[in-house]
Amino acid sequence: MSSETDTTVIARTVVRVVVPIILLTAVALLLQGHNLPGGGFIAGVLTVTAFALVYIVFGREFLQRSLLHVEEDGFLGGAIGEYGRTFTFGLALAASAGVGSIVLGELLDDGQFEFLTQGVVFVYHVPVYHEIEIPTALFFDLGVYFVVVGALLTILAVVGRE
Amino acid sequence: MTDLVVAPLLVALFTAVATLPLRSARRVQQAVSVAGGVVYLVAVAALVRAVKADGDGYLVYELSNWDAPFGITLVADDLSVLMLGLTAVVSLAALVFSVRGIPAVGQRLSYHPLYHLMVVGVTGSFLTGDIFNLFVWFEVMLMSSYVLVVFYSGPDETRAALHYAFLNLLGSAVMLLSIGGLYATTGTLNMADMAEYLAAAPASQTTPVLGLSAMLFAVFALKAGIVPFQFWVPDAYRAAPAPVAAMLAGVVKKVGIYAIVRLYFTVFAVATLPPGPFGDNATFLAFFGPVFLLMAIGSIVVGGLGAVGREDLDGLLAYSSIGQVGFIVLPLAVAASAVPAAGTAIPGDGIVTLGITAALVYSVNHGLAKSLLFFVSGALSRTLGTVRFDALGGVSERNPALAGSFFIGALALIGIPPLSGFFGKFLVFDVGARAGSWVVLGVALLGAILTIAYFTLAWARGFWGPPSDAVAGAHVDRSFVLVAAVLAVAIVVLGVGFGPLYDLSYEAARSATETQGYVDAVLGGSQ
Repeated sequence: MSSETDTTVIARTVVRVVVPIILLTAVALLLQGHNLPGGGFIAGVLTVTAFALVYIVFGREFLQRSLLHVEEDGFLGGAIGEYGRTFTFGLALAASAGVGSIVLGELLDDGQFEFLTQGVVFVYHVPVYHEIEIPTALFFDLGVYFVVVGALLTILAVVGRE
Repeated sequence: MTDLVVAPLLVALFTAVATLPLRSARRVQQAVSVAGGVVYLVAVAALVRAVKADGDGYLVYELSNWDAPFGITLVADDLSVLMLGLTAVVSLAALVFSVRGIPAVGQRLSYHPLYHLMVVGVTGSFLTGDIFNLFVWFEVMLMSSYVLVVFYSGPDETRAALHYAFLNLLGSAVMLLSIGGLYATTGTLNMADMAEYLAAAPASQTTPVLGLSAMLFAVFALKAGIVPFQFWVPDAYRAAPAPVAAMLAGVVKKVGIYAIVRLYFTVFAVATLPPGPFGDNATFLAFFGPVFLLMAIGSIVVGGLGAVGREDLDGLLAYSSIGQVGFIVLPLAVAASAVPAAGTAIPGDGIVTLGITAALVYSVNHGLAKSLLFFVSGALSRTLGTVRFDALGGVSERNPALAGSFFIGALALIGIPPLSGFFGKFLVFDVGARAGSWVVLGVALLGAILTIAYFTLAWARGFWGPPSDAVAGAHVDRSFVLVAAVLAVAIVVLGVGFGPLYDLSYEAARSATETQGYVDAVLGGSQ
């Protein structure tokens, strides 16, 4: 069955266990990023390392076909196009996050909020988590997250294809 | 409606984002991109009106509602909006040119988002009132320009872009170091706050700032392509696609000039030099005056002589812009040397204001004329595949409109009345004469003669005479001729009705030298 190019059973088993943990850590870092170490960038990089592990151990075909369900064709289509849409969405989200305050200021009609003005909402009595802080900076961080994931996966896909 | 201050920035940013998902619909992407350029122009026009309508002429915008000097402040005053106006015009022309002037594949992949991100960087640099934020906008501008320079990805382009990227990364590192040093010394990054600190501090405390500001000046000189930091200019301009070269020469260079005017004449001008060769109580500008002068002379000579010997149009234009930047720095040098002792206000009708006015008028004229010339060169290279003089010849017979536009652009840079370039050059000579400086007059004269020489060569070899085989069979796209002709008309109109441009530049120069007004406007709210 196995040829010399195949990865070992150990590697495949480890990856299966490690990838969900990496992804969970990435989400945790993303959520706490506004006032603790973490944030969109580092969470994005961590997410891509999870993808990279799958890519290295199970191969590009498996990652794109079986996991992401995209075909590979052309420079703007298929997987690369999909990654492109990811960072486009991220960029749009990050840019809009700043404008949100201006729009809100206009809507509320009681004074003006400048571009990039931030706010925060606390949600109490959440089961298990107890208290969640949702800052507007989270939207920006989410945008950064998608930009990093999309851009790094694009690089991985383009370079990996050659 | 202070949101207007941030409007040009947001327009460019959102155009960049909007052109990304449209990569599979070429026509729509182009339409959105050009529309973005139009909206940018409208936003800038609205901002100009708002600044003119404002009582003291400073619109201050505190990002994310953090008061200056703690948050990042955007300041739109006469100086910023003048530069933004130049950007908006050149940028729109370059966008229209790009639709046919850039290969379709390149446009789809990355051209439009990158282009607008470069405009974002330029806009931010003109608006920011925070010195670290200036660094960030420089980076935004440079990141995209790296990719735009290497756009055609041939061996020559890759080499040019490597040099360009390496030098500018080095420049950025030095800039970051100097800004870090400034922060450590003055305790602030806000330009107005720094000016206030420097005005009050004794010479013993400001001495480190002198060295740091000199380091910072090297970085700005690198971006503006002033001798001895000019060596990246010819290769990068030749490698970049024509509309990008037009933007680099017409606008991105002016960011360096703007930074020099803003930081040195508004902020560092109020600091006192320690007693020494420049006498007691002299300002930093007394030190920078001779430095500016030497570099201006070097630029005029190197650029002029270099341009005369070129064998291709792009190379000639690139060297020419080194020389022309010298003409912008020359009146700045006179102005810097004429700044009165520390603590005295700069008079509105003195040589200082006049010198900056001359530099700004020259910048606007150079921005329009040089981008026009790069468009003509781009039109020829896109049609013929080369802009070497031995392949050109007789363009004036084959396509009079294109050649005529080139002629007007060249005349504007030479300084023939009634074009705007005449007044630019006239003001430079005027400043030199008022200061009684024979050196300045002599160098300006030499520069003017060199300019006439290389443009005569270009005209005679490229545009005059019987059409060469390549030119005779060529058909230049209409949109190229249109862009060039519109800019040529703009240059004529600006020259014939010179009053408004002079007034705008004069107000900008006033606003650059009125440190107290700037400080009051930015810090007024928090005190």
